[in-house]
Amino acid sequence: MLLENYLCSIVLIVLGLYAIITKKNAFKIVIGMGLVDYGINLMLVSAGFRVNGTAPIFDAPTQTQYFFVDPVPQALTLTSIVIGACVTALALSLVVKIKEHYGTLDTDKVRRLNG
Amino acid sequence: MTNHLPIIAIQVLFLGAFISGLVGYKSNSLRKFVIFLATGTSLVLTLMLFKPVMMEGQIISYWMGNWVPVSDWAIGIGLEVDQLSLFFGLIVTVTVFLGAIYSFKYMSKDNGQDKYYVVFMMLAGSVLGFVFTGDLFNMYVMIEIMTFAAVGLTAFRNHKAESIEAAFKYLVVGSIGSSLILLGTVVMYAQFKTLNLAQITALLNNAQHTPVILFAFALMIGGYAVKAFIVPCHVVAPDAYAAAPSSVSMLFSGIVNKAGIYGMIRLVFVVFASMNLPSMQFLLVFLGTITMFIGVTMALAQSDFKRLLAFHSISQIGYVLTAIGLSTILGLTGGLYHALNHTLFKGLLFLCAGAVLYSTGTTDLNKLGGLAKKMPQTAGLFLVGAFAISGIPPFNGFVSKWLVYQGTFAKSMETNNPGYVFVTIVALIVSVMTLASFIKVTQSVFFGQLPKEFENAEEVPLSMRIPMWILAALCLVAGILPTAVIDYLIKPAVLAIKSAGNYVAVMMGQEYATKIYTEGIAIPKYDYAMAGWNPTSWLILFGVLLIAFALVALTGGFNPRHIVGAENNNAKFDVFFSGEAAEHSHVAGNDLFWGLKHNLKGYFHFMHDVHNGVVNDYALMVVSTTALVMLYLFLLVK
Repeated sequence: MLLENYLCSIVLIVLGLYAIITKKNAFKIVIGMGLVDYGINLMLVSAGFRVNGTAPIFDAPTQTQYFFVDPVPQALTLTSIVIGACVTALALSLVVKIKEHYGTLDTDKVRRLNG
Repeated sequence: MTNHLPIIAIQVLFLGAFISGLVGYKSNSLRKFVIFLATGTSLVLTLMLFKPVMMEGQIISYWMGNWVPVSDWAIGIGLEVDQLSLFFGLIVTVTVFLGAIYSFKYMSKDNGQDKYYVVFMMLAGSVLGFVFTGDLFNMYVMIEIMTFAAVGLTAFRNHKAESIEAAFKYLVVGSIGSSLILLGTVVMYAQFKTLNLAQITALLNNAQHTPVILFAFALMIGGYAVKAFIVPCHVVAPDAYAAAPSSVSMLFSGIVNKAGIYGMIRLVFVVFASMNLPSMQFLLVFLGTITMFIGVTMALAQSDFKRLLAFHSISQIGYVLTAIGLSTILGLTGGLYHALNHTLFKGLLFLCAGAVLYSTGTTDLNKLGGLAKKMPQTAGLFLVGAFAISGIPPFNGFVSKWLVYQGTFAKSMETNNPGYVFVTIVALIVSVMTLASFIKVTQSVFFGQLPKEFENAEEVPLSMRIPMWILAALCLVAGILPTAVIDYLIKPAVLAIKSAGNYVAVMMGQEYATKIYTEGIAIPKYDYAMAGWNPTSWLILFGVLLIAFALVALTGGFNPRHIVGAENNNAKFDVFFSGEAAEHSHVAGNDLFWGLKHNLKGYFHFMHDVHNGVVNDYALMVVSTTALVMLYLFLLVK
């Protein structure tokens, strides 16, 4: 089960990078950036997973046996998701502005700065 | 009390961001007061750390919420300020303080200033947090906030298409870099189940470098190479530097790429302790050498003031990387010294570019000219910066460049490897080309003929000149007192780089460290000799030359002959035109060094095609660089 998670996350990251590198539409580049983020988040939350582990909550003060999944990566994943959402929002607002200024989203035409 | 200083210094900057956002829209002066107070307090707090850390050699650790390690296992987030962190922390707070003062007047023509200062302070706080933190994930969060704020500031003048375009490219490439860093962090966590840098250092010290660790290492090197704008991940840097307001460009070259360099040093020297391997040294020196060479040749071909400075910024980071890649005491001293100097003189140059933009409204080298008559102070300060970056004594650039030359040469003597002599030669050539391109800027902006449209240009206000004067003074001080700078700033930082054991001992406890470092914590001997560098005599020589120049000028030695009747045919295209004062035949930026550019046009056309402005290609360059670094590490580093 964990192996599939890792494979899926790598596939997502590679697909995201593929989209960023090959797609000429600025909007699709933003989608690619999102995919990379999702892949990393999946890998992050899988890194803390333990088979048959329970949620990391102390339910009773008398409880002596614990077999938790690692809670730290879950906290990190939340942080990373929030950052990812912010990146997407900022990127999309820039895409809107690019459309206003250049009248196109084609990255081959948005290249006034070169050389 | 001292323990709390770093966290307060960071919080003050973030608090300044939020408070200026809350109250700033009501009144301009209140907002300026808040910003001044916040940046000033942060500077004072960091300076208060100077005595205990730099002079007494303490390392300050602070556990957030007092989550100290339980049974040798770090759980909480810790701050750890060693001498290296404080060295970069001082660079950050000084730059931010001066940048904020400069912004007050410089940004007064723009609207939306309340938002500007919020993002400005976020940038400042995040970089300070980045250099002070002792936690791998915290490093990622801080550098992501930094990228975010930097993108926001690049896009600040969003009525210009160039700003938006640069910001979008910077965001795409920068977030690939951040993603690489995060992926590396995840892999490290999966291996070691801890995020504390000190503990990872300790665990790695005894662990085999498995392929998984090398994978994480390569990802992080790629990520921080993007953040430090190392060739070939540099392509978005000139766009962003040129499009951002000048006070922000100063922060970009002063602290944003320094953050990348800091991350690189922290990882390769302390955490992974990999710099005793010749193959790692070669990797950094190689990257540094191509960075300085490509940066400076691209700068020669530019016709925009700020874009040219941006390429120089990349080139100077190449010097820093080459020097620290040598991994000798001399090399590290030169590298850190140059990092400090680069912040000072490049900050000064960007502020001068901002002053020119403020007075004339353009930074196009082909339109400007003769501004020295209208803006004498800016011209003089620019000359100081240009001398410093070109490595002319007695300014600071000379000292650090000399250390770099000497370090590379000594390295080649040590290892019997003639390749390092080649690096010395490249460094010398790059320095000459730096001087050449600054002759071009000085000539085409400040000297020559004043175009008619700039006849009303005026000197910039005092509050913009004060930061420039301070930076110029610091340039001179760092040039004539190199031994003091090295003793009080550089030497402790270099020793901190070289002794990872202390870093672990302070954070995780002495007992833990002795368990890991069974052979004891070695403190390297610090010895260096600066051959043939006597600042006092150079200062005297400089003074004598200045007086001689002034005497000749006063006796009329430089008065050109006036030639009448050159209105019709523009004299600048004649074979001999120098020394003639023909009307409106200003030698513009593109007129200089065209012979060089013509003879090497193959190279220049190729480089122009590489910087083609298509964001997909830029992303490809970053990804393939990381892939190559990964391949290199897997093949050559055992």
